Amino acid sequence: MSDPATTWHAEPDLLDRYARGDIDHARACSLEAHLLECARCRLALAPAVDTGRLEDSWDGLVAALDAPRPGRMERLLVRLGVREHTARLLAATPTLRLSWLAGVVLALGFAVAAAHGGRGERSLLLFLLLAPLLPVAGVAASFTRGVDPTYDVALAAPMPAFHLLLIRSTAVLGTTMVVAAVAALGLPDLGWIVAAWLVPAVALTVVSLALATFQAPVTAAATVAAVWVGGVLGSEALSDGGLRAFRPGPISSAAFTAGGQLALVAVTILALLVVTSRHDRFEIERTV
Amino acid sequence: MAETLDDPRSDQQLVEAMAGGDRSALRSLHSRHAPWLLLRLSRRCADPAIVEEVVQDTFLAVWRKPAAYKGSGPVAAWIWGIGIRRLVDQFRRQRRPMVEVAEGMATTPSAEEQLLLGVEHGDLGAALNRLSPELRAVVQATVLDGLTTREAARLLGIPAGTVKTRMMRAKPQLREALL
Amino acid sequence: MSQITVETAGLRKAYRSTTALDGVDLRVGPGITGLLGPNGAGKTTLLRILATVLAPDGGTVRLLGRDPADADDRLAVRRRLGYLPQEPGLHPNFTAFEFVDYVAILKEMTDRRARHGEVRRVLELVGLGDQAKRKIKALSGGMRRRVALAQALLGEPDLLLLDEPTAGLDPEQRLRFREFVSTSPDQTVVLSTHQTEDVAALCNAVVVLDQGRVRFSGTARELSELARGRVWLAEARDPAASLSWRTGDGGHRHIGDAPADARLVEPTLEDGYLLLLGRRAADELAA
Repeated sequence: MSDPATTWHAEPDLLDRYARGDIDHARACSLEAHLLECARCRLALAPAVDTGRLEDSWDGLVAALDAPRPGRMERLLVRLGVREHTARLLAATPTLRLSWLAGVVLALGFAVAAAHGGRGERSLLLFLLLAPLLPVAGVAASFTRGVDPTYDVALAAPMPAFHLLLIRSTAVLGTTMVVAAVAALGLPDLGWIVAAWLVPAVALTVVSLALATFQAPVTAAATVAAVWVGGVLGSEALSDGGLRAFRPGPISSAAFTAGGQLALVAVTILALLVVTSRHDRFEIERTV
Repeated sequence: MAETLDDPRSDQQLVEAMAGGDRSALRSLHSRHAPWLLLRLSRRCADPAIVEEVVQDTFLAVWRKPAAYKGSGPVAAWIWGIGIRRLVDQFRRQRRPMVEVAEGMATTPSAEEQLLLGVEHGDLGAALNRLSPELRAVVQATVLDGLTTREAARLLGIPAGTVKTRMMRAKPQLREALL
Repeated sequence: MSQITVETAGLRKAYRSTTALDGVDLRVGPGITGLLGPNGAGKTTLLRILATVLAPDGGTVRLLGRDPADADDRLAVRRRLGYLPQEPGLHPNFTAFEFVDYVAILKEMTDRRARHGEVRRVLELVGLGDQAKRKIKALSGGMRRRVALAQALLGEPDLLLLDEPTAGLDPEQRLRFREFVSTSPDQTVVLSTHQTEDVAALCNAVVVLDQGRVRFSGTARELSELARGRVWLAEARDPAASLSWRTGDGGHRHIGDAPADARLVEPTLEDGYLLLLGRRAADELAA
């Protein structure tokens, strides 16, 4: 390593030629090694670089300083191939906040505890009823004006509201289902019925989106919830007759049988068709 | 730009000031070091957009972790270490081999330049010029730019084994020049 | 002067119990147009329709030569639109930069570096360059409004719609705000407000809306001229006068018939506006 206080310094001509690329390799490497140690030559080299380029470099740097640093979730998504701006939108989804997820965990925890308190399949009923409703609530909430403050600004922007809706719904559905799957691990092992909430979760969410092309998101979610809870509890009561429905025993509701699950898949596909054909309804407000 | 070049603080003091969140220190550091960094990286990557992005990322990294500078060696060398590794990262992501920068016309070195070559690399300088471009690129990457074999492989777009083989071929030729 | 960039004819919108717009005919060109009117006049509803966020019940709208009822046209308009709603919803946990960056993504700016540069540009335009990294919940009301204004300025829109942009700002901030609404001559700005001083300071054209209808459409000067010969300054307040109030230096300003011992004064835009709308508007201004 040469003495930092070396008395040799580069001639202006050499620096110019280096900046232009008009210099042989060895000389370039030598100069580069020298520049690492010599502030005076670095200073002399600076004017040879286009000031516009340097200003742009600085401006870009400042913008990057203020820019949001992607969180862990965002970086994971980008690694999985999601485009950077889509990941950013996902990170901004109102219901993916910790407070919401904490509520979901709490509700599911309660349902899991209830499952251990009873006997037979019926003890699972609370969990099987609740788990599909959570993504429905989440998706509806992420579009309500009260929860999403940028509603109007987003609607006036060129990105189709439908596109944003798909991104958010997928995010909410995905995370809620992962949390529910983890919670389901805590359920008593009663066979495949422990997973019978998966199909209804997707089905109810898509149906509520389809309904949202006819009604306000919250109304659509409430309708879906009412039909689901009423339908499941109603069929339980009908099969055993009245209040004896809630004694321990097998679940008889059609929704959790193999045939019922297939029917729900068909309903999901139908609802998807409705959503895609009517997606224009999301693009502008037609009533209050 | 002129005002920041008049910043009386040393590079070391600028790094310390940045640790305290002083943006003017970053500005001064940028105006002192961005010029040579831009040029040096441009000689290893022909795409100016990538070079500019790497320079930006380098100063971002410098800003975010000034404590990574341990005080051994000049600040410029530390900056170079960050910069060249960011460039290597870019190539790994882009999967493109480095585009060989066109070689300038070799002219007879002047007396001063011979002195430069002698001061920095002794007779190695001339020997370096006599190496074939592939061997020279490998020597530059590993010896002069301070990259590991794997990093050099990523930068040049060749397998790590090839880097080792070429270093093996280059060394005897350079050793010859010293004898 | 020559082209019309915003045009409506017979625009109607009704909510459950009230009629917000009752046949609005509008012709607005480039430059800054003030939309004046008391609360409940329908200004926000009109602006939401112009922002393509709300569909009218009846009538036609043409924005930048396009029809927002058509999906493709609507998208084209939205690409050249900037909208500052009356309640600019901001995510409190975002920094100013993050919020404007989020809207920039919604405005289809997908290239990160270019987008960040544009975000920085609009934040500096509204004087928030130094506050970019602060969380929105830590910003004052005036600063928050400026963040919301910054997002509307993204992409240099051809049509800029501002709904009560100076609401909640103190007089000094209102003065500063006027600097931010500097426009290029091709840009069309519609500024909805009930602050007559803002309109007087900024707008060449004025539209007065009241109870869902257009009461006046013309230049700011023409609105002032409505009150020519009808504005008086007196020492004391004439109890018979319908519109009068104390001025800052002790006298009383009257609009309408001449009170005793009064002298005629030059009418301002506010005078014209008050004369047009009467007592109701005056009460609102005094509030």
